[in-house]
Amino acid sequence: MKKIISAILTGAMAISLVACGSTDTAAPADTAAPADAAATEAPATDASTGTIDLTMWCIATESDSNRHSYEAAIADVTAAHPEINFQWEAIENQAYKTKIKAAVAADEMPDIFFTWSCAFLGDFVDAGRVYCLDEEYKNFSSELPEVMLGNTTYDGKHYGVPLTMNIVGLFANMDILSEAGYDEVPGTYEEFIACCDKLKANGVIPFGCAGKETWCVTEYLESVIEKSAGADVLNDIFLGRATWANDDVKGAVDTFQELVGNGYFDPNGIALTNDEVKANFMAGKYAFYMNGTWNCADFAAQEGLNVKVSEFPVINADKSKLGELIGGPSDTLAVAASSPNAAVAAQFTFELGKEICHYGYLDGCGLPAWTPYYDTSSINPLTNTVSDICANASTYVLFGDTAMSADDATIYLSYVDQVYGCMIDGQGFVDGLAADIR
Amino acid sequence: MKKKKLYTAINVTAFLLPALLLFVGVLIFPIIMSGVYSLYDWNGIGAKEFILFDNYKELFTSKNLRFMKALVNSLLLAFFSVFIQLPISLGLALTLGKGRKGERFFLSVFFAPVLISTVVIGQLWLKMYNPDYGIINMAIRLITGNPDFGPIWLGDPKLALGAAFVPILWQYVGYHMLLMYAGVKSVPVELREAAMLDGASQGQVNRYVVIPCMKGILKVSVIFAVTGSLKSFDLIYVLTNGGPFKATEVPSIIMIRELFIGGKYGMGSTIAVMLIVLCFAFALIINRIFKQED
Repeated sequence: MKKIISAILTGAMAISLVACGSTDTAAPADTAAPADAAATEAPATDASTGTIDLTMWCIATESDSNRHSYEAAIADVTAAHPEINFQWEAIENQAYKTKIKAAVAADEMPDIFFTWSCAFLGDFVDAGRVYCLDEEYKNFSSELPEVMLGNTTYDGKHYGVPLTMNIVGLFANMDILSEAGYDEVPGTYEEFIACCDKLKANGVIPFGCAGKETWCVTEYLESVIEKSAGADVLNDIFLGRATWANDDVKGAVDTFQELVGNGYFDPNGIALTNDEVKANFMAGKYAFYMNGTWNCADFAAQEGLNVKVSEFPVINADKSKLGELIGGPSDTLAVAASSPNAAVAAQFTFELGKEICHYGYLDGCGLPAWTPYYDTSSINPLTNTVSDICANASTYVLFGDTAMSADDATIYLSYVDQVYGCMIDGQGFVDGLAADIR
Repeated sequence: MKKKKLYTAINVTAFLLPALLLFVGVLIFPIIMSGVYSLYDWNGIGAKEFILFDNYKELFTSKNLRFMKALVNSLLLAFFSVFIQLPISLGLALTLGKGRKGERFFLSVFFAPVLISTVVIGQLWLKMYNPDYGIINMAIRLITGNPDFGPIWLGDPKLALGAAFVPILWQYVGYHMLLMYAGVKSVPVELREAAMLDGASQGQVNRYVVIPCMKGILKVSVIFAVTGSLKSFDLIYVLTNGGPFKATEVPSIIMIRELFIGGKYGMGSTIAVMLIVLCFAFALIINRIFKQED
């Protein structure tokens, strides 16, 4: 009898396991609806409260410059939409790239997600994982110029809501520069190098660069390449229209390695994260810091920190000129095609994107992709300088690891890493990339 | 008689079935699927292209991936685990197993790092290794009297691998110690006493009585240490993320980069398959070595 009871209990346990499994596997099948079907489905609502659940992932962590703009925007938009139960989560930049790609692969994305434009979002669009925003864009076209959607438009369809646009800026600690006898950031490359030599002689480290996060090295390297070989050359290479085998690029990489070899970079930076390097710059350890202009907010808010932002000087005036910039609209919000509330999420995303842009611009986290509808007189001077730089811009080259496909970007970053470590020279860099990037 | 045998067979099947289903569903099926995906060029979200063994060829020949270098790093870690970490664990287990005063307290102290999250340990060691304010460089400066001296532990390609290994070895000393401590305690007291009566010193008792009796535990520890080294990921990810300049890369770091950053699911699966094969192979080899010893 005991054996029979044991067998029945065991059987019941096995059936319950199978039953649990079937419930779990049914859920993704329901949510993995194609883009168009998702929009026509009735919104998934909480029956007891009648609210619509929306989730969002982004990179506005506590230490991120954009944190306040996200918090303020979310507070405003959720207050205007009490029918929406909005949950959001912020993940650190590098970890986020891993997380969102895994989620896209498994088709388990949140309703709304942060993404970078061009190839990064393009891979997701190609796989049919992103909801097309054309319908909802019609309601916002007067406030969001279509030119700002260029990096998130694929086959003529819009898939992303741009937030702010940023460029790579050369931030200079003016207190340190004035001690070396400079009232302004040197305007020519020769003066700039002389300034670095003087700083070094004074015992000051000219540059801080986070070697632990290779994208920080690209902020320097791409600027040097652009100001040596020209923006058009770099754009063509990044977008696959030209090969990496280019003598000007080779020369530019050698120039960058001269900066490294001359001891202008903090040797400790190789083991530091961007947050640590940025903190060092704000603490007065470095004279210069090349990074995105989203940092303007933090630098402007730090009391006693006297920082100016400018363009990296032109290295080869025959090939490049001031006004050729690295950057453009890249920070974007997108909607998952698998969202059961995709149409609602799309409308919500436009409203949220507009408000994040609003607060982000006021905070100095970047320039607005949306037409400002508010008083901008309180914008910090650093962001205003960036506005002036952008007003005189002739060409933008989007960040290399955003412009390229994920596979190519990984190879590219691997070579950038080797260049920073002086393990290969300019010839090795262009030969390797020309051979490895198809 | 036949009926009884049938009942037994049904009972055994019924009892084994849930575990078997879980084992196949959670372990065997994903391994098979990884094997299948390793034959494809696939970004995880688009169309798959069947390329047979091209991923395996690329794995061992690509200058970009540098898989062999990563594998050597893992094998180095395995070597240090077996010849540094395990002897320390054994020494501690033999010392504490003798029933000294404060035995429980020291057991808890040595085991504590195993209980702490690896990410927390990584952060602690990051601070200790910091070239500016890390306690290690501060101590070096104090001893040498040179305020500017201090290596960049995690930033110098020559030092980073060793620096990353130290916390890994340190963290799991307690884990192996606990396994071996159980082995030491399982040795009958009569055997020790008999050896002592025959005039054996404490060292001789350990060498000729205790250690041979705990060969099974030692085998398990060696297998865990070697396969754990091949699979190592978390602490290296936190400390160096494979840098500087790929000096501390191990196969799992490359796998994650290829899978989630590069979006190469085929290659990621290939590395996963290679890791599984290597872990099984090493477990079998270690088993065989211990069998020959017997």
